[in-house]
Amino acid sequence: MSEVQRRKYSQEERSAVFDGEFMPHIDSMYNFAFRLTFDEDDAKDLVQDTYMKAFRFINSFEQGTNAKAWLFRILKNSFINDYRKKSKKPATVDYQEVETFYNSDDVDYQSTSDLRAESVRDMLGDEISNALNGLAVDFRTVIILADLEGFTYEEMAKILDIPIGTVRSRLHRARNLLKETLKGYAQSMGYGRDEEENLND
Amino acid sequence: MENNDASSPDRKLQCSDVSKCFQLLERILDGELVEEGEEMLQKKLDKCQPCFAHFHLEQAIREVLKTKCTKQPLPDKLAESIRQMIQDPR
Repeated sequence: MSEVQRRKYSQEERSAVFDGEFMPHIDSMYNFAFRLTFDEDDAKDLVQDTYMKAFRFINSFEQGTNAKAWLFRILKNSFINDYRKKSKKPATVDYQEVETFYNSDDVDYQSTSDLRAESVRDMLGDEISNALNGLAVDFRTVIILADLEGFTYEEMAKILDIPIGTVRSRLHRARNLLKETLKGYAQSMGYGRDEEENLND
Repeated sequence: MENNDASSPDRKLQCSDVSKCFQLLERILDGELVEEGEEMLQKKLDKCQPCFAHFHLEQAIREVLKTKCTKQPLPDKLAESIRQMIQDPR
């Protein structure tokens, strides 16, 4: 809570804020929830819980501030507290290992030199979506927030409760991981083979 | 002048500081370096082939993520049931 003691919203104001500032984000909220849980029912419950909490704590929302970021923060916290624990598919990736590995210059260079913008544009929605869904949840989350929803680093830092520097480095690593997967798809689609054959001639 | 050719003889083929350059390009694409970004970006793209390729790759990835991963259809009646729930709080 801020230091300024905010007056409480009247019943009418609550409805106006809820309908005017919270409900318009429901599509983005559901998309985020679905990509966190991979389950339609869980995503639905998560969005519902988030909106209930938003309504209950509406007095701590300051009108005119970023409602979408405020809602995403509640959703993310609800996911960690209520859903992540009971998740059927725990993350199998060792975070530390991934973080160290993807921080080297070699990896930066290799992961991009074999993948072309044109092959990415030719990929199907399912391939892009699967590549994103295959990332460990912390990496997936930063990509969703930055690239799907267009949040700034500063907004992401608030949503995730981490410093901006961590947002930046985690996002960079997430993108390298994503490119690794996309590179695999591109190779299996046959992109880049011509070059290899030429080299072998 | 803008040089948008996929390859250009003016560009060097090796980037001496790939990691730093790529992270910088990503921040520019993320809209984090609005003031100084434009000029820096043009310099890099004109002079360095790996930076040019990386920039366009990153741009393509952002585009496909945005167009292909944001269309999860909202379940019927979700919005309606939320509105109902807040009208009769327990």
